[in-house]
Amino acid sequence: MGGELANGENVKVHSAVNVSGLRKTFGQGDSAVAVLSGLGFALPAGSSLALMGRSGSGKSTLLNILCGLEQADAGTVTLFGADGRTADWPCLRRERIGVVFQEANLMPTLSLLDNVRFRAALAGQPETRCQHWLEVLDIGELGQRFPDQVSGGQRQRAALAMAFAMAPDLILADEPTGSLDRNTANEVADELFRLQAETGCSLILATHDAELAARCQQTLDLGHRSGG
Amino acid sequence: MTVFTALFSHYRRHPWQGTALALLMLLATALWTGIHHLTSQARDSLGQSERLVEVREQVQRVDGAALTVEDFVLLRRQGLCVMPWLEVLPEGQSRRVIGVDPLAALCFQGQADVASFDGQPLVGQPFLDIADAAALTAAEQQLFLILAAGEGPLPSAYRTAPFALSPDTGQLGDSFLLNLDALSVLVLLITGLLLRSVYLLSLSQRRDSFALLARLGVSGRRVRGHLLLELLCLAALTLIPGIWLGQALASVLEGGFTNVMEGLFDSRQLATGGNHWRVPALVMTVLLLAVAMVDWLMPMVARATPGNRLRPAAATLLVLVGLAGVWLANALWLLFVALALVLAGIGWLMPRGLSLLSGAGVRASAQPGWRWWWAEFGVLCRRLALPLVALQFSLAMVLAVQALVITFEDTFDRWLSQRLSADVYVQVPEGADSALAANWLTEHLPSADEGLWHHVQRGSGRFRHGQAWQDVDIFAVTPVGPLMTGWGLLEQTSQPWQTLASGAGVMVNEQLAYRLGLSVGEELELVLAEQALKLPVLGIYPDYGRPAGEVLIAGQILPADFEVTFESFSISPASVPIETITDALRALWAEPALTIRDNRAIQDLANRVFEQTFMLTRAMTVLTLALAAVALLLMGWVFLSTRLWYFRLLEVWGMTKAEIFRKLLLLALAVTLSAAALALPLGVGLTWVLVQHINPLAFGWSLPMAVYPVFWLELLALALLIGGCIALLMRRQLGRPAVRPSVTGSVTGEER
Ligand SMILES: Nc1ncnc2c1ncn2[C@@H]1O[C@H](COP(=O)(O)OP(=O)(O)OP(=O)(O)O)[C@@H](O)[C@H]1O
Ligand SMILES: [Mg+2]
Repeated sequence: MGGELANGENVKVHSAVNVSGLRKTFGQGDSAVAVLSGLGFALPAGSSLALMGRSGSGKSTLLNILCGLEQADAGTVTLFGADGRTADWPCLRRERIGVVFQEANLMPTLSLLDNVRFRAALAGQPETRCQHWLEVLDIGELGQRFPDQVSGGQRQRAALAMAFAMAPDLILADEPTGSLDRNTANEVADELFRLQAETGCSLILATHDAELAARCQQTLDLGHRSGG
Repeated sequence: MTVFTALFSHYRRHPWQGTALALLMLLATALWTGIHHLTSQARDSLGQSERLVEVREQVQRVDGAALTVEDFVLLRRQGLCVMPWLEVLPEGQSRRVIGVDPLAALCFQGQADVASFDGQPLVGQPFLDIADAAALTAAEQQLFLILAAGEGPLPSAYRTAPFALSPDTGQLGDSFLLNLDALSVLVLLITGLLLRSVYLLSLSQRRDSFALLARLGVSGRRVRGHLLLELLCLAALTLIPGIWLGQALASVLEGGFTNVMEGLFDSRQLATGGNHWRVPALVMTVLLLAVAMVDWLMPMVARATPGNRLRPAAATLLVLVGLAGVWLANALWLLFVALALVLAGIGWLMPRGLSLLSGAGVRASAQPGWRWWWAEFGVLCRRLALPLVALQFSLAMVLAVQALVITFEDTFDRWLSQRLSADVYVQVPEGADSALAANWLTEHLPSADEGLWHHVQRGSGRFRHGQAWQDVDIFAVTPVGPLMTGWGLLEQTSQPWQTLASGAGVMVNEQLAYRLGLSVGEELELVLAEQALKLPVLGIYPDYGRPAGEVLIAGQILPADFEVTFESFSISPASVPIETITDALRALWAEPALTIRDNRAIQDLANRVFEQTFMLTRAMTVLTLALAAVALLLMGWVFLSTRLWYFRLLEVWGMTKAEIFRKLLLLALAVTLSAAALALPLGVGLTWVLVQHINPLAFGWSLPMAVYPVFWLELLALALLIGGCIALLMRRQLGRPAVRPSVTGSVTGEER
């Protein structure tokens, strides 16, 4: 569990995420877009990093690479000491990396509770704790509702419950509050940071919101890097 | 026009949606054209086969010599309407072909009997153009000259004789055509369902555009009007290629590829093609309009059945009323209406039933993974309801047609072998004494070792029906022997043939029994040549050929003064060679030109014409099934593409692509397999209605009902194949980046 890892010895030995010389180009020839060119950073286990940058600067692309959904053209990614080129990405995503998008994080055909149970079961976590996670996120009484029967903020809370129910070592959040109003966004962000601190998992958060970014321990602005 | 461009611009952004819509319309048009084409061909083919076996007059030479082309020329010069009929057994082949001259048949115009040949191209085997037939190297060849009815006196060197190949198949063919018509109505229904589903799909893909137009203040009525216009534009683009494709497809199915290539350069074929395009074009246009108009009608239906909960009840009621109607209907049109009700109800209930199944599956599974799978199955069934129902109906139709065709083939075969049970059939010439021949045969063929024979005498008698007397055909046989006793009987007393042979009873055909409600053991009052008889019914035999009632009796109870209208001998020679027998008969009757027909060759010939008809019918159903499969494939693919994001979500959650593919495959297979499984009872029911209800109502006789489980397995395998193809298409999609559904899309209840 992330909590154990944060308190353990290996924290000092490994970073949770280590990236160097990362390059990614979409398209070829004249239409080629160099999104990431020579990006590098290290994230200690248990800490948080905010990705900033203009729209199109490559935040989502970087997150996709960090969870193995996309391949980088060059450079290395090391997660929990494992080389990204040889890593078992599906296994990492199933058990250690929680991903939260701006929206559509839930299966529309399952109730909120079933969504959490589905995610926990995939990660090999006990389903008995699922209701607990909903309660922790203050939507305990909405477990039997379907995603289209709750508000956007409640959906994002459920998405966080799903992520934490899998006991992740790393959470990748792509504008998790991007489609919420300011108050709701703050509430959801509060929960995210509170639980991240409690469980001791690492967090990489892509956001346009400077206020939100300021709550992370580190900030990486891709907007300045995308040209170079 | 701005609304129109706004609407159409959707297709510019999503060209494949427009293409899929156009493609399905094209295929649907092709289907209907193909069916129409094949049905007309089947009709022609059947018509020709009936002509083949009909009784006609032929010309013979008084000196008994074989006819030649000179005879034909001479008779035509005399202004007589004769048509050459050249039977050829090609060298090295066991099956005969018949050469006819469509041009010579032109003078038969207005006479029903040979009219089907006049000027029309010949439909496939076994008929050929006479020039082609004559060009074959023949092992055996015989020219007949068929005379039009009522033609004036023949030159003295010629005389007329009856010309018949086998008993009349009249009603069997009519019945088959009636069934074919019923099935093409079903095909039209399926086509309509498919078009409707494509139309709805195109609407649902553009919900955003409609919402935008509504916000801009464009009225719904105007949008609908433009949609209709758009649909008609698409129709105009797809109709002609669709018709062309349908005809090409039908030609390929009917005559193989070479025929098509020839047909492209053959003006005759093109000329007939021209006749077949108008009906499909009209039908398709009307169908398209109907498909679009349903939207105007639906609100009314919705108002009539308030609440979602009442609808399944209404559908169930529809099915029940329909079933009761099918059970009780005593008129053909009532039966068809009842059948339509049942189909409509089932089409309505089927997606609902699958959705209930999905709900039960969700509740029954403890694992969230399976709960997700069942819920996804429900969504798929709901969203693909129309193409699924179309697939179900097509599968049911294929099943019914398969059973029907096999049944007809089988029945026709058995009936022919019943009527042609002997190898050779000799007609007693006019004025000849049949008793002489009967005595000779009794003496020389005393047992089956020498050969089997019987003497048939036909005429007319009367029977009592209530207070009235009615005419009935009499069919007298002497002796009642092994050539008869092999007949299958629908109902019988114990030892029916022995009793019949002793003259202590009669048998009746199914038509008469059905009409009078006669059953075995009841007494029938007959009058034969003023002699009254009262005899029990010993058996009821199936008789598919004629509408007339018929009574079968032993020849010995026929009064001496009974007027025999037709007489023949059926002979199966064994140790005594057939030549000995025919020579003896020629000598006895002093008749050199005896009409002797080889029953086996006739049976083969007739079977082949029917084979052609059945082949065309099968081709028609295959075409329907193919379209339904393609439609489901396309729609399944299009719909699943809109849900691609959620399958990618599984990948984000750590499922491997292989695991996701397995889930998808299982989903697609479950959906197509349920459609197939639900099609089985429907198909069997449909067969039962066609065979056991429509036929007795229309013709007074029923066909035997049979089921073919091996074919069920084949259909299930086909359903699996379709499901597999959908999943494979989706696997390609999974490799591509998924578009996240828009917020509005993800909150609409539709997706759950
Ligand atoms: N599959 C792809 N093919 C081609 N180009 C792509 C693809 N995915 C992303 N891009 C391009 O890469 C660039 C970076 O995209 P990315 O989604 O990472 O931006 P982002 O920083 O997340 O932007 P936003 O803040 O708007 O979410 C964009 O210019 C985008 O057009
Ligand atoms: Mg992004």
